[in-house]
Amino acid sequence: MAAQGVEQTILRDPALFYWILFPISVVMILTGILRHYATVLMNTPPKPASTLAESRERHALLRGVNLRNHGCAVLDREAFEARRNYLVNGFRTGAFLKDPNNRGQPPANPMTDPAGMEAMMGMLKGNMMMMIPQTLIMSWINAFFSGFVILKLPFPLTIRFKSMLQSGVMTRDLDVQWVSSLSWYFLNLMGLQSIFGFILGSDNAANQMAQQMGMANPAAMMNPMQPGQDPDKLFLAEAENLEVMEHFSILNGIEERVLRNFAPEVN
Amino acid sequence: MGGSVGTDVNGSDVLSALKLAQQAPAILGHGTAPSINIPAKVSRDTVEEYSRLEQLFLACLQTGDDKSAQECLDRLSQRFGPANERVMGLRGLYQEATAKDTAALDKCLAEYEKILSETPVNVPVMKRRIALLRSLQRPTDAIAALIQLLDAVPTDAEAWVELADLYQSQGLGSQAIFSMEEALLIAPNSWNIHARLGELLYVCSSSSEGDAGRLAGKSVQHFCRSIELCDDYLRGYYGLAMAASHVLENKYAPESSADPAVPSRRTIEQLKDLALRRLDHLVQSRSVDDQHWASSRGELIAAKELLNRYSAVNSAVK
Repeated sequence: MAAQGVEQTILRDPALFYWILFPISVVMILTGILRHYATVLMNTPPKPASTLAESRERHALLRGVNLRNHGCAVLDREAFEARRNYLVNGFRTGAFLKDPNNRGQPPANPMTDPAGMEAMMGMLKGNMMMMIPQTLIMSWINAFFSGFVILKLPFPLTIRFKSMLQSGVMTRDLDVQWVSSLSWYFLNLMGLQSIFGFILGSDNAANQMAQQMGMANPAAMMNPMQPGQDPDKLFLAEAENLEVMEHFSILNGIEERVLRNFAPEVN
Repeated sequence: MGGSVGTDVNGSDVLSALKLAQQAPAILGHGTAPSINIPAKVSRDTVEEYSRLEQLFLACLQTGDDKSAQECLDRLSQRFGPANERVMGLRGLYQEATAKDTAALDKCLAEYEKILSETPVNVPVMKRRIALLRSLQRPTDAIAALIQLLDAVPTDAEAWVELADLYQSQGLGSQAIFSMEEALLIAPNSWNIHARLGELLYVCSSSSEGDAGRLAGKSVQHFCRSIELCDDYLRGYYGLAMAASHVLENKYAPESSADPAVPSRRTIEQLKDLALRRLDHLVQSRSVDDQHWASSRGELIAAKELLNRYSAVNSAVK
């Protein structure tokens, strides 16, 4: 154990700074930027519905939600009941489904369903963009720089931080303030987000821009259903929500409310 | 509805469209970038910039500056590719606007149908087709196409409002009311749609026999909601005054009501007074800074007329 109160000193070659600390930081920043542009390049926008029925399946659920949330602000009892009956009936009989004949059958295997396959490819691509550079750089650092102590933090830390700051250096007695090269890599990996934000603009601005302009109205492109989810189940749940709903209207008694709220300021 | 941009173009607002279109050469950057092929600046590759370009395109078409419109369209399709749905819709709009005769419009229609047979869910092109059918005086076809669109995309408030308008032009009041209510379900806080629904109900109630009283009462309610959401909305007060006096004239409101949901005659009278007072106030304050309200001058004149009519009636009674 290091003696209490005695400053540990390690004589470091200043070349360590120029040839390890600095290169690791620069490489990390450059790969971050590269990864950003690679993601932008490989990103495929969500596929719009290809048929009218598919588009209806995507939006029918929203209609139920809208009725539940906004019905009280717009409709009187009669109009509300009519809409509720229509929607509940539609949800129950599967009238809004893409193909009502396939109802009740288990959802298609996402591996064989081309739409599900595409979504999974998208996820896979995203993960690859994270994984590949990380593995490459980590093995590079392991091969060239493992075992170097390159930095001393100017403040004391508790022993808990030892595994975080000194990975790759198996010295039990070394003070926690010392940082190894491999740990410097990890610190960069986690801590460079704000620097990327500074360099690339608020995160992924270029990325979202192309998508936003692409859609005529955002609602038309949005797909509330995750791949592999059974729309029929969602519809049935929504039908139940609608059925148990108690209707009230904020338009009832609005005349007196308006008079009460407006009269004082006019007089 | 106008945004905070300041150069926003309101569909019906010709004055501000003209103002914007006059800035076209400056915005498109003649002089600084002589060729279209050089994008104005790479740094301006933002959503705002392109929606501004789109507005400029619409303003130029509205004011007959087809050359600038073409240039806007070129830039948009250069950035997003000619196969982009929205760009396709805009190009269709350009072709319609520059069409010389009905034959050219028919050609546009055929082109839309060709696009739609390839990609059935192309919402901008579907909407253009409906608008074109309407301007070709084929409202029933337009309604059918619009119903098809809404069946596929039932969460499009704009389309519901258009459907309500089409139904009303065909004299189908209750269908129009239904469509307008659907639009309101999507955007429940838009006071202009509330007022519009109130207008539809008012028109229906003055033409139909059956439950005119109920419709008139609902009309008053929606106008009330409209001014509750926006307390200096001239159209809301105007409608409220009209609907309330309609209720009073036909004696739809009971003298005293047991049901709290049904307002009494006295309440409606008070509402009418309130609406007229606020209208007077709005007219006076808006007549002072005339320039600022230039775009809604028509509404202002109508409100003045209404006030004159009522004051004439009042003085005749006295």
